[in-house]
Amino acid sequence: MEEVKNNTGQSLGIAALITAIITFVLAVIPCVGLIAIIPGIIAIVLATVGLSQASRNSSPRGVLIAGLIIAIIATMISFSQIFVAGKIAQKADKWPNNIQNIINDVQDNVTKEIEDANVSIKIESNGDKVEINTNASKKDQEKKLEDLEGGTTQKQDSIQKHDSIQKHVIIRKKK
Amino acid sequence: MTVFRNMLLYERKNKTEQKMKVRLRNEPYLIINIFFAGVILLVFAYSGFFSPVKDNYPVTCIHEKITGEKCVSCGLSHSFSLIVRGRVDEAYEWNPYGMRIFLFFAAQLVIRVVFSVFYLRYPDTRKQLILVDCIGSGIIYLISFWPFLVNIFSGG
Repeated sequence: MEEVKNNTGQSLGIAALITAIITFVLAVIPCVGLIAIIPGIIAIVLATVGLSQASRNSSPRGVLIAGLIIAIIATMISFSQIFVAGKIAQKADKWPNNIQNIINDVQDNVTKEIEDANVSIKIESNGDKVEINTNASKKDQEKKLEDLEGGTTQKQDSIQKHDSIQKHVIIRKKK
Repeated sequence: MTVFRNMLLYERKNKTEQKMKVRLRNEPYLIINIFFAGVILLVFAYSGFFSPVKDNYPVTCIHEKITGEKCVSCGLSHSFSLIVRGRVDEAYEWNPYGMRIFLFFAAQLVIRVVFSVFYLRYPDTRKQLILVDCIGSGIIYLISFWPFLVNIFSGG
């Protein structure tokens, strides 16, 4: 006589295993990892119900146990995405400071480059134009400007003291 | 005579269908294989249906919404769509891991079909076949999803 197999909970086991494996694949993808908690929990519930049915009728439990284990691991991985998201958010908070530091660095570099660059200074006053082209550094330029102005003005405010004269100072970096 | 013959044919057909149903019910491995093959085909259909030009993908990155930062899997749908359309270079630009994930799904589709055929043809080696499938798929999974796993365990 043919032995009749008792397959109670087998369908639930298959459903749990399929859901668990899909959860396992989804859980590691950060974009959808958090959503995978839902099928993970569904798989755990299916496997648990199937296991209780199978144990009552002493039917095979291999698929059910496999489904349950994979579902638990997948749900844990999926849950861990919350912590990953939290850490990324923390890093994101530090970004404004980093950006500010980068801007400061760039500003410093540009200022330094301008100081050492070849410059052309144009001064316009009542139709008269004076143009200074020099290869010298900032200090030399200031000295030349002082000489041009008669040496009466001080180094720092040599340009500012000539209020009546409209000045256009163009500083260009030359190759 | 013809009626009797038709009845016989109908009965035989019914019996074959019933046998198939019983066989499938007793073979969870085959059900799982058929289901996964269907899911993978759906993934490919999704990649083919949604256009990278129109950018009409229904799935948005939850990670990006929460943190405001792009994650390692951002651009995966775009990447898949481009691979399906044969634009592999562009696919790499959207997501550098797109190709290996796509290959994982493609390999799984082939494995599901081939292993199901082997399962039916060689009933004596079924246990070994399932074991090889589990280990092999596990290794392919690890290789394909390694960057994402590293991302999780390194904390983003």
